[in-house]
Amino acid sequence: MERMLGKDHRDIYRQFKIIFEQEGLHRIDERLAILEAFLGTESHLTAVELAGILKEKGITFSEDFIRENLELFSRYGFAQEKQFEDQAPRYEHHHLGMHHDHLICVRCGTILEFKNTEIEALQSVVARQMGFHDLQHRMEIYGLCDKCLKKREPTIPLIMATPGERVRIAGFLGGRGVERRLTSMGLNLGAEVEVIKSSGPGPLIVASRETRVALGFGTAKQVLVSIMEKTG
Amino acid sequence: MAKEIRIAIAGNPNSGKTTIFNNLTGARQKVGNWPGVTVEKKEGMTSYNGHAIRVVDLPGTYSLTAYSLEEIIARNYIIETQPDVVVDVIDASNLERNLYLATQLIDLGVKLVFALNMVDIARSRGLVTDHAKLSVLMGIPFVSTVGTRNLGTRDLLETIVRVAEDRESVSRHIHIDYGLELEEEIEKLQGLIRTHTSFPDKHHSRWMGIKLLENDEEVTKQIEKGPGKREVFDQLEKSKAHIHNIMGEESEALVADRRYGFIRGALKETFQQTRRDRRYLSDQVDMVLTNRLLGFPIFIFFIWAMFQLTFTLGQYPTDWIDAGVGLLGQFVGEVMGAGLLRDLIINGVISGVGGVVVFLPNIFILFFCIALFEDTGYMARAAFIMDKVMHTLGLHGKSFIPMIMGFGCNVPAIMATRVLESRRDRILTILINPLISCSARLPVYVLIAGALFGARAGNVIFSIYLIGVALAILMGQIFKRTLFRGEIAPFVLELPPYRMPTLKGTIIHMWDRGSIFIKRMGTVILVGSILIWALSSFPMAPNHSSDPGVEKQYAAQREEFQENTLLGRLGKAIGPVLRPLGFDWRESVALLTGFVAKEIVVSTFGVLYHVGENSGEESESLRSAIRSAMTPLIGYGFMVFVLVYTPCLATVAAIRRETGSWGWTGFSVGYSLTLAWILAFIIYRGGLILGLG
Repeated sequence: MERMLGKDHRDIYRQFKIIFEQEGLHRIDERLAILEAFLGTESHLTAVELAGILKEKGITFSEDFIRENLELFSRYGFAQEKQFEDQAPRYEHHHLGMHHDHLICVRCGTILEFKNTEIEALQSVVARQMGFHDLQHRMEIYGLCDKCLKKREPTIPLIMATPGERVRIAGFLGGRGVERRLTSMGLNLGAEVEVIKSSGPGPLIVASRETRVALGFGTAKQVLVSIMEKTG
Repeated sequence: MAKEIRIAIAGNPNSGKTTIFNNLTGARQKVGNWPGVTVEKKEGMTSYNGHAIRVVDLPGTYSLTAYSLEEIIARNYIIETQPDVVVDVIDASNLERNLYLATQLIDLGVKLVFALNMVDIARSRGLVTDHAKLSVLMGIPFVSTVGTRNLGTRDLLETIVRVAEDRESVSRHIHIDYGLELEEEIEKLQGLIRTHTSFPDKHHSRWMGIKLLENDEEVTKQIEKGPGKREVFDQLEKSKAHIHNIMGEESEALVADRRYGFIRGALKETFQQTRRDRRYLSDQVDMVLTNRLLGFPIFIFFIWAMFQLTFTLGQYPTDWIDAGVGLLGQFVGEVMGAGLLRDLIINGVISGVGGVVVFLPNIFILFFCIALFEDTGYMARAAFIMDKVMHTLGLHGKSFIPMIMGFGCNVPAIMATRVLESRRDRILTILINPLISCSARLPVYVLIAGALFGARAGNVIFSIYLIGVALAILMGQIFKRTLFRGEIAPFVLELPPYRMPTLKGTIIHMWDRGSIFIKRMGTVILVGSILIWALSSFPMAPNHSSDPGVEKQYAAQREEFQENTLLGRLGKAIGPVLRPLGFDWRESVALLTGFVAKEIVVSTFGVLYHVGENSGEESESLRSAIRSAMTPLIGYGFMVFVLVYTPCLATVAAIRRETGSWGWTGFSVGYSLTLAWILAFIIYRGGLILGLG
């Protein structure tokens, strides 16, 4: 039976055999048969559906027994229970063996997979040192992918720009009020402005094309800009 | 004659739309260049080739959103009255920004003509627009104009008539293309608005759809009131969510973005900048006038100079008018026989109105200075300089413009609060504005301080003005902490380039405001003076006769009779309230009548002391009458009372109109009366304790 499974699943199979024995459970062979059938499918299954699959293989268990085992797999963090509206719970097994770590870009959502044996080994070491029996883990690193990183220009509040600097309006903070007013005056998102005057915590003056506009300090704080060019 | 053509003039502040309006109609109207100067709807008539054309000047706006009063006024006028043609005045130096308003006018589906104004300045800055090509591209005729030199006016009129009669070949209806995703949702909303609500018009329903995606409060309210709101709002929620999903941005920001996209597209091949000056002369001037260290002292100097000019230069014509009024009284006294009519003319009309006329020069000089501040562009800089100070009152620099105007007259000052976007700022500014001493209160100070303080009168009057400013700051602080705890609205103000004002323009500007006072002389003050005279003359003294001997006796007993007149009884009735302040019945009456207008305080004293009857130096005799009636302490308390309590009925009406609330109007009157009483009480009682009385 064991030989029919892939290498990764074999590990799980072996681990559960140990767990079942340690838990002092009965009907271990039957439970392992359910586990094997469960591992053999990739879909989200209800207990009834799994019973159907087992029946095809000529094995008949009560639904309650199957449900009990699925809950057991979930409890050990190996399967995930998903409750959809008005439906019986469905179970899905984790791909424990086909393990990758992930880099997830928060800007564009790109997921990059990687596997590093040193990290994996180190994780097992840490778990063992703490007397912890590791079944599975997930590692996700959130950040910006190289594409998004290139696109991103550093933005600063307008008040931080110094006189003579040309900046591009990159965003507005706070409510819509500031954005609306500035947009109608030609200080829209993406507009280039030059800082004419900016001193201390007072209002500042910017030039947008041929227009000169005074902005209160509080208002200028809510305008994000990226610096385009320094002219001194 | 052909049907009357109705046109409306729209445009950004500082685009020169007021000059275009003047050129079209020949009407006299104020020309300023701080943003939002044209706050009132102005109308004029003109004719061209037998067509009668009615021209309405809309408030200058940057946009047609529902977030400022002026924008709502402008767009509601266009929607509700459906003018035949809307002329959008566009500053040729600021095409991109000015066309933003134009895109919203296009959305409204009105027939448009663009007046490309100040092309001379644009050309001198190396900005070249191919306006023929732009006309074809946008489907709207562009006409080049130079408003200040009255160039292109005929061409503009010609084009307006052609567009109104649908004879203009380039005119065609275009849509701003908001892009596939937005257009789909606009169409869905438009369909629902047309079929389910009471707005079946094709262009208007599209405009409403766009406005809903822009979260426009007014349009949302309109839909909410009518039928079909469930259908429209359900779709709106779906549309917004859909747009956000696929575009990753809010629909409102996208609409603005697409408008600028449209403008950039249109200008790409039609607009060129041949040379790029970064700094203009105007910027160099700003380096000094808005300098961190120099800006404030220079500003204070200008204000000081304004008052100096008002009082020193104004003294000469004031003296002449004063002498003239005296001579007139003397002349009438000689030619007319004694009797009730002579009494009315000398003691009612001449002493009442004459007492106020003498202050016209001061008022006009003050208005001239304020017009100069506006027309040069300095007013916007003053707002910039004062921004930090105004923040301590919970306001920002823009609120300072109405404050300065308050020195002239509180009525236009209160109307000028329309430039403030937030209602909180507007009401707070309106509440403290009357504490800025207007020019109508000046006659009272001049009379009383002149009578009681002699050579120190100038300083005393200045101290009254300072008390007004200090109280405005104090009350601003109190209101900020109690009634108006909210956030200060964003401070954004265009600084128009400095312009050399023309003498004619500034005089027209001054006249537009100052003439209100002349009108008041002939109306409120004349009627008030006659009324006060009547109240103070009846019931008549029983032994009144034309026998000279008896008349002399009557004069001696006049005081006694006066107290028995209707006015005397009125004064006595309110006397108990004002007696703790040291005011006698005459002063009480003057304060009562002064509620109508502050100049009437002076008129009332004039009538009550019958000074018109005495020939020669009228004011001098009134002064001596005041000297014998008041101590300097009471006089000072009286001036402070006049400073603080409600300026005039016209101000009350303006407050009612601008706040739209009787509650705030009542509060303004109530708090100022209370404050006036308390301050006068403290001054009088405090002074007595200190032994100053």
